[in-house]
Parts: sequence; structure tokens; C-alpha cells
Amino acid sequence: MSLMQSDDNFYLIPQNNERTCFEGFINVHGQEHQFQISLPPGGTFSQASVQCDLSLQQMLQGYEAVIEKRLQQSQDLATFLLELKTIAESQAQKMHLIMLPPPSYYKQLLTEIEELDWKNVSYVDTSLQQLHLRAMDQGGREHILKIHISSEHPVERPICTVDLPIPFNISWSSQTGMLQFLYKQFQNMLETLQDFWNQLDEIDSKTWILEPENPIRGASKRRIALGNNSSVQIQVDPKNPRLPPECKLLGADHVINPLNSRIGEWNPEDSILNNLERVLNVQFPSPANSKKEDFNMECGICYAYRLEMEIPDKACDDQRCGQPFHQTCLYEWLRALPSSRQSFNTIFGECPYCNKPITVKMPS
Amino acid sequence: MHRAARMKRELQMLQDSPPYGISCWSVENSIDHLEAQIIGGEGTPYEGGVFKLDIHLPERYPFEPPKVHFVTPIHHPNIDTVGRICLDTLKMPPKGAWKPALNISTVLTSVQLLMAEPNPEDPLMTDIANEFKYNKPLFIRNAKEWTAKYAKDLLAKDKENQSQSINQKDQISPNDNGTKRKILAADSVADYKKTKN
Repeated sequence: MSLMQSDDNFYLIPQNNERTCFEGFINVHGQEHQFQISLPPGGTFSQASVQCDLSLQQMLQGYEAVIEKRLQQSQDLATFLLELKTIAESQAQKMHLIMLPPPSYYKQLLTEIEELDWKNVSYVDTSLQQLHLRAMDQGGREHILKIHISSEHPVERPICTVDLPIPFNISWSSQTGMLQFLYKQFQNMLETLQDFWNQLDEIDSKTWILEPENPIRGASKRRIALGNNSSVQIQVDPKNPRLPPECKLLGADHVINPLNSRIGEWNPEDSILNNLERVLNVQFPSPANSKKEDFNMECGICYAYRLEMEIPDKACDDQRCGQPFHQTCLYEWLRALPSSRQSFNTIFGECPYCNKPITVKMPS
Repeated sequence: MHRAARMKRELQMLQDSPPYGISCWSVENSIDHLEAQIIGGEGTPYEGGVFKLDIHLPERYPFEPPKVHFVTPIHHPNIDTVGRICLDTLKMPPKGAWKPALNISTVLTSVQLLMAEPNPEDPLMTDIANEFKYNKPLFIRNAKEWTAKYAKDLLAKDKENQSQSINQKDQISPNDNGTKRKILAADSVADYKKTKN
């Protein structure tokens, strides 16, 4: 019976010559816990008892009976201690025993937050590791910087989550006062994006945005309703918002073909909205003179706008109809009909609404 | 996935703006089983009655038509004794005229219209069609009788009683068409049970 085990799992030191009393440490998830075992003389385990420190006791709570039984049935102490370790480790995982940062962490953090001013803090969690900082930009827009501070702060850099259209790369060195430095970097970044947000705010307030439904500050794409079941999708470059954005026209041919974009007339001095209206020679329907329901953009077959990320981008070419469909929906309907004709990957059939000829490509 | 997306919207529409004289609702919040009521149109022999219908949406809806049948017995050339309806919009092309541009609401409206304007040229019940074509007063009297008997008090009688009494009626009618109708009824009961399972 090996009594002096000294591997990574536990250390056991006999306390008397009779070897009936042992003290030792057991390793649970990298943390060592002290315990004491007393055996009755004669080396039997039937009346053995174990005492352990408070944290180990907490972990083993509710398992006392099991442990007692295992101890009595054990062949030797080593097997028993391995069992004890297994029980303690699985329990520790269940309890999510959070390893709290050292006290110096809190002291440092509180000083840094005070430097930063508490009024800029919009949220802290109970462990003081999640911190949300609020910043107002020149346009009066509120931005939140979410910081997950490492227990090794300030040596290890925190994890930042932001709602920005460009990556938020921070510079970091393990000095004090870094929180304020971080906040300053965030404010600087907001400043560079002012024109981007001004442009998009103007578009958002003066047109009907079909996509995204509720644009976040980090969204640089917009799909703007043009009326007649057509729309234009733009992607604005956050760093150069005044340059011509990437444009995609969506809708029936007879509606979008006349809108041959005269991109040469783009004027970088003017706002995106004015430029788009001039270049496309259109007037965007705005919330001031129309209702969103006026843009009947739902698919005429599944009645939904979004179907597994797909949007209705195939519209009936007949001017009086113009009913939009998801490509997959229209394909699914036409392919089942004996009256449809297929040629390569295109199906020729009739619009389910107006019976005029319509074609659809096989969805990829 | 098409059915789920579409039914969510259709149920909302049926609730917010039901068609005139029609109500329709989902059974136990399911998207594939609905029930509907059509109020008998004014000036028709069905006036004063409330007709209950059962609607099943196939997996491939709206690429396939909904399965609609009458629960309340009705005396009508195009509706048989187990409630099956002969209506082109309820059948797939090329024989039928179903297309995804139609929906539960428009289908129920066409059923309502069929009740008001029977089509004796394409009958499901030949004896009733003949009655309608050659003895209109008798047809109206019978249709009114059935309406009073089955469609006036939905709560008082359950489906079981109703179907029993239809069968009895079939057995009593001794005319030539009666036998044909009985066979049809038996077939359709078997068919209906099959579809239900």
C-alpha cells in the first residue's frame, strides 16, 4: 500500500508512526485543498474519517454519504483520493466556482473608473469584469463600448465589443490609466465616423429602408425602396462615405432598366441621398409622403419578405402586375406545372397572378 | 418552410380582415388544420344557416391547394354527402385552377359563391343537380329543409348524429338515383377515412 503518493493529484504526509493519521493536499482544477484523514488502528477503513478545508467542503456538499461509503470500501488510500478528486472536480464544474481576481485588481480598476468618471459607465456586472462605457458623439448619437476586463488587468488586454462599421483595433500597453486611454481611442474612432453616420441617418430618416430591418450603427448596407416593387441596395464605405457607394438595382426589368445610373454625375461634395436621387433620376418615397405598406414587397407565393435569407428579387415583368416573388418559390411552383417549359436551367411559365409569361432560373 | 411562412401571414389576415360572411381559425394553434364557418347567403336557400368547414393544408401548400370539405351537411349539386366540394380552384392544374396567388380567404369566398350559384353542369350529386335543373322549387325546399335541420344549431348536434341521419335519409329515398347516391356516399366515406388517416 503506497501511502506517500506525491504526483500531481495529491500529496499525503503521515502524521504519526502508526500511520493512522495523514495530512495532505488534493489538487482540484489546479487549486490545492487541504485535508486530513484518520484511520482506526489496524489499517482497516471501516471507521476512517476525512476532514477537509472549507472550499473543498463546499464542493463536496451533498456527497458526504457517497464519500463515506467509498472510503469504507476502498482498497487503499490512493484509490480513494483519486475518487475524491473526481467527485470534487465534477462538482466544481457544476457549481461554476468563479475564480475571482485578486483584491489589487479591484483597487486598480476602481481608480481607473474614477479617473474616467462614473457618469460614463452605463453598466457593470457583479464581478466587476464586464464594463459598458457610454460615449456621445457630436451628432448626439449614443455609443456603447463593451469591455470584458481580464483578471490579469492591466497586463492582459481587455476584450472590446463595439457596434462600428470598421474593426476597432486598440493599442494597449500594461500601464495604469489604460481604461481612460481605451475610452479616448473609442471617442477618436467615433469622431472619424461622424460623416458616415450623418449620411446614413439622413437616408434612414428620409427613405424607406427595406433592409436591414433595424439598422445598427455598424451596418454600412442599406436597401432603399424605390416604389413599384423595386429597390436599390447600397454599401457605403465607412472611411470615405462621400465616394459613390456600391449600388445594386433590384426589381422588374421595365422599372429598373430606365434607371441607367449616370455614376459620372456623382458629386463628392453633396450628400449620398441627393447624389443617389440625381444619378438615378428618382425621388425616393419617404415616410413623409407614403406608408411602408405601400411597398408590397412580400413574395406573392409564400407571403413572406425573407425566406431563409432570400428576399423577393424576381418580379413579374408585366407593368400592370409587377408582383415580386422569391426565386425559389416561383421555381417550385412553375416546375410542378405541365404547362411550363424548361430549357437548360431556365423555366418558362406563367405568372401565378396575371398569367403573363414569366421566366425563372433554377436556384443555385 | 413555405407553408409556415405563408400560414403565419394568412392566419393574421383572416383574423384582421376576414372575408364577408366568413370566419376562419386555426385548430389548436396548428398551421395545417383550420376550421371555417360560412354564413348562408341572403336570398339563397342556405340563408340563416351557419356552415362549418374543415381545412387541411398539405405539406406542399401553397404549391398544392388546401383540402377543404363541409362538416355541416348541405343539400347542393356540387357538394357530396361527406362534404367534398367540386370546385376547380381546389384542384391542381391542368384539371383544376389552383395557383399560389389564391389563398384560404379567396378559396372560402369561392365556396361561398358556389353555394349561391351552384354549377349543375359539373355535378357531384347527380340527383340534386337534376332537381336543381328541372324542379327548382323542390330543390329550394330540400335545401332549406337541410339548412334548418343541420346548419341552424351547430352546438346542439354533434357530427356523429348528423352523419347517421344522412345515411338514414339515403336508405329511405327509394328512387333510382338513390342507389347511385348511396354507392357514392359509401365510396366517399371510405375515401375520406383514407385521407384522414
